[in-house]
Order: sequence, then C-alpha cells, then structure tokens
Amino acid sequence: MPRSQITPLAILLIGVLILPLILSSLWVKVVTSAAIFALGAAGISVLFAQLGLINLAQIALIGVGGWVALRLNYATPLPFTVIVVIAGVATAFVGAILALPALRMRGLYLALVTLMAAGAFQILFNAFQFPNGGEGFWGVARQSAADIRRPSVAQSDVGYLRYTLVIMAAGFGLVALHRITGPGRAWAMIRQSEANAMAAGINVTFYKIWAFALSGLLAGIAGALLSGALGQLDARSFLASEGILLFALAVVGGAYSWVGAIIAGVLYKLLPALLNDWGLSADLALILFGAALLHAIMTAPRGIAGQLLGALQRKPS
Amino acid sequence: MITIENLTVKYGGVVALDSLTLNISDDVVGLIGPNGAGKTTLTNAFSGFAPVTDGKVVIDGVNLLHMAPHKRACWGLARSFQKVQVVDDITVADHLRTVLTANGVPRSARNARMSEVLDFTNITDERDTLGADLNPFQKRMTEIAKCLIDRPRIILLDEPGGGLSEGEMQHLRFIIRETKSRFGAQIIMVDHDVDLIRDVCASTAVLDFGKLIAFGPTEDVLRDEAVKAAYLGR
Ligand SMILES: Nc1ncnc2c1ncn2[C@@H]1O[C@H](COP(=O)(O)OP(=O)(O)OP(=O)(O)O)[C@@H](O)[C@H]1O
Ligand SMILES: [Mg+2]
Repeated sequence: MPRSQITPLAILLIGVLILPLILSSLWVKVVTSAAIFALGAAGISVLFAQLGLINLAQIALIGVGGWVALRLNYATPLPFTVIVVIAGVATAFVGAILALPALRMRGLYLALVTLMAAGAFQILFNAFQFPNGGEGFWGVARQSAADIRRPSVAQSDVGYLRYTLVIMAAGFGLVALHRITGPGRAWAMIRQSEANAMAAGINVTFYKIWAFALSGLLAGIAGALLSGALGQLDARSFLASEGILLFALAVVGGAYSWVGAIIAGVLYKLLPALLNDWGLSADLALILFGAALLHAIMTAPRGIAGQLLGALQRKPS
Repeated sequence: MITIENLTVKYGGVVALDSLTLNISDDVVGLIGPNGAGKTTLTNAFSGFAPVTDGKVVIDGVNLLHMAPHKRACWGLARSFQKVQVVDDITVADHLRTVLTANGVPRSARNARMSEVLDFTNITDERDTLGADLNPFQKRMTEIAKCLIDRPRIILLDEPGGGLSEGEMQHLRFIIRETKSRFGAQIIMVDHDVDLIRDVCASTAVLDFGKLIAFGPTEDVLRDEAVKAAYLGR
C-alpha cells in the first residue's frame, strides 16, 4: 500500500479509537458535526480545485440530503445506512441539475446562480420545514418530533461519531479515487482549457455534470448523517449565507486536499463551540473567518492545508 | 480526401474565413499566410470552436460540422494548439491515458500504443514527468503524442515548430514525414517557417484576409508572385 494511503488511514484509525475516549459527551456531538460538514466541504473542494467552479449552494444541498433522509426515515422502514445512500444519490441528482447553468457560466456568474439556488432552497425549507414524523408528504407535525433510527452499531453518540468518521473517510476516499483516475485527468484537462479537452475527445458537459453530482452526493450523505446526529433539522441552519460561509472555509482550509476539508469542518463547527466554551461570542468566529479568508486569498492560495503540507514536505525526514 | 466547401466564419463584423473552398488529398498539406489570415480559425472550424456561418467540411463522406466537438475527436480528428496546452499537474502518461479513455481505446491496447507514440516522439524518458517539468520541445512532443495515440484520420498542427531549436526541428520533420506511413493519419500543418513547409508539405494553401489566394504543389505556391507579395514580403 503506498504511503499516501497509509497516513490518512492511520489518522482515521486514531480518530475512531481515540477521539471518543477523550471527548466529553458535548464535544462528541460537536466533533460529529464537524466531521459531517467536513464531508460537505469536500464536495465544494472537488468543484473548486478540480474545475475552478464556485458552489455556494452546498449547505442547501446538505439540507436536501437531510430532508430526504428524514422523509425516508418516517415513511419507510429502511435501515439508516440505506437511507444515507439514497439521500446521497438523490442529492447527487439535484447537484447535477445545478450543473446545468455551470455548463455555460464560470466565476462570478456561476457563483451568483448557485447563490440564487441556495436562496430558493432557504425559502422552501422555511415554508415546508423538515419532516419530523407528521402526516402527509411534507411530514411535519406540530407536536415534538418522533425518533429517528440510527444504525445498530451507532446507537450511542460515541458510536455515531465513529460511524460518521468512517463514512467521512470513505467520502474522502471516493474523491481521491476520482482524482487519480479518469475523471480526475479529464477534469485537469478541462480546467486547463475546455477547447483542449474537447479536442482530446473529452465530453466536457458530462464531466462537469459528474463533478457536480459527486459534490451533491457528498452533500446528501452529509445531510443524512446530520439528521441522524441531531434527530431533527431546523430550516434556520440552512440559510444561503451559511453556504457562502462553508465555501469560504473550504477555500481557507484548502481545497486541494482532504486535510483542508477537515480544517473547514473544524472551523465551521468546532471553532464557534470553542469560543462559546471560553465565554466568547461565537460571532467572533465570523471575524476570524474573514481574516483567514483574506490571508488565504493574499498569501495561501492552497489554504491552510497547503501551508501545513508544504511545511511537512520541506522538513527533512 | 478532405473537401472544404464555401466555409465561412464570422467573428462579429470580422470575416475570418470568407467562403473558402479547398480539396485536400496529399498526406501532408501546409497552410500559410500572414498574421490574422485565418489559419487558426480554419483549424478551429474543423474542431468546432469557431462560429461557422456557412459551408461544410466533408472528410471521407462525413460532414464534420454536424458533430459535437468531442465527437469529432473520437471520430478521428486530432489537433495541437498554437499555444501549447499541456496540463501542469498531470504526467505525460496521464495526458495520453486521458485521450485513450475518452476515445474508448480498449485497455489491452493501451500500453502498447503508449510505448509506441512515446518512442516515436522521443519522450519515452518523460513518461512519468509532470507537464510543468517538461521543456518546450517535450511539451510539443506530448501534444503530438496525444494527437497520434488514438490513431486519428486527420491531424491539425497549429505552428508545431514555434520555438524549437534546429536539432528539435529535425525530429519534428521526421515525425511529420513518417506519420502517414506509421499511423495512417493525414496532416494539415499551419506554420510560418517556410523552410519547414517546403521540406515536408507536398502541397500548400495560402490564406490572406480569410481568402484562399493560392493552392497547389508547395514549390509552385512559394514561387507565386501573389503569395510573395502577401506573405513572404519579397
Ligand atoms: N475568438 C475570436 N474572436 C474575435 N475575433 C477573432 C477570434 N479568433 C480570431 N479572430 C479574428 O479572426 C481573424 C483570423 O484570426 P486567426 O487567429 O485565424 O489568424 P491566424 O492566421 O491564425 O494568425 P496567426 O498567424 O497570428 O496565428 C483575425 O482578424 C482575428 O482577429
Ligand atoms: Mg494562428
């Protein structure tokens, strides 16, 4: 097995074995959320690093995955893991639809289109809320929420953290697999020049849609995991502005490696919780994010992960 | 046999190709003309990157213009660009693999094909080198290897000789001369280097302001007074 795979697997093993032992029950929940959003951020990174495309609607897509998962949880007896997969695939389709404008647009215009999509989902989530065991298609009940099933190996919060970490790692693995095989090579060529890619026989439309679908798949899985973690989803967590924030953090963390996605998840969920814990306002996080974004734009185009990995590589072994 | 009929390309008010009609049958055909004459535009019209307003390009009985750009590549049209298009962060072998996958070349044939074109273009040693680490000659050769690897019918080369040294030019000449017999592809080559054109092209077309001003055996064309006036400037 090449070294490039040993390190992440070792880190995963340590995370799965050690983290649950050292974290208090509150922090187990926070770290679970951070891992879930790291997975979502990985989808943003795929589009940004591989194709230079900006997707501000990832939080909305996570909401879509969460909605599908809750809906299936209450409407069917399917096991949780199956629900996670279905939510992922369904959201991949939504992501692919989002790709349609991307076929003609880039840069700022595409960013605006995804932002508008995120806004539309924000309105939908607000209007219909998330299923909580009620009647009818939308499944919203006035009384308190019914239970959401978790997988048998992950009934406890600690078990669920482990489950989440393993799925997150599998998601990262899927992205890595794409990067080193056909789609990654095709994306690299498209990024260089669409004309050059077409001249080589690459179906540019197909591979762009595929990238968005992959990004949607990761968002959908993240959304399903989130529903299992929280038991209930709140429309207020899926504002369009959150999509901008997660995108910014994916860039700050570093879009070119899974380390960056983890940093993004940690910044998004862990940092505000830490500030809270220290008695500081969680809004302070926004100021820190802004500074970090400026830092990334000006001095670290490959993000914090790029700087960390660069430092590790430079260190003589 | 390539038949170009009434091909017209317009960029807004600029008529980049003006009702061009041309029949090409030689193995290596040159395309020359002053800057802005429409040479690159013609290759782009073949590839599907130029706004064609009229006319057709028929090769072996198939009108190229009816196909999507990437399908033209799969059908057998390969090309290089005036500005080299090598991707920095993938290896030479990955460039070739991308073409093989996109064109549906069976796995069993891929390795042999790759070794063959790498050897032919003299970059076997760079097989696992990243695009960013190649010198200009190796980049050109990577592009040509990409063109050859899916066994195309036609290869369009847009100024392949730009920036190459004399020794490197010799190898380019060898590649262009041998392509038809080894790989079966016909070449249309745009270049400003008249010596290169004279050496390798059996016939040559001359464009000026989007119009064909001469076409025929290369030696005759290069002696033509109108060509000298428009292009050679002597
Ligand atoms: N994408 C474009 N948009 C607008 N005008 C264009 C475009 N491409 C080419 N043109 C115009 O079409 C004409 C032909 O350009 P073309 O690039 O085909 O010339 P060329 O013969 O390849 O010249 P050179 O020897 O400099 O490469 C020029 O007037 C050019 O300005
Ligand atoms: Mg040109």
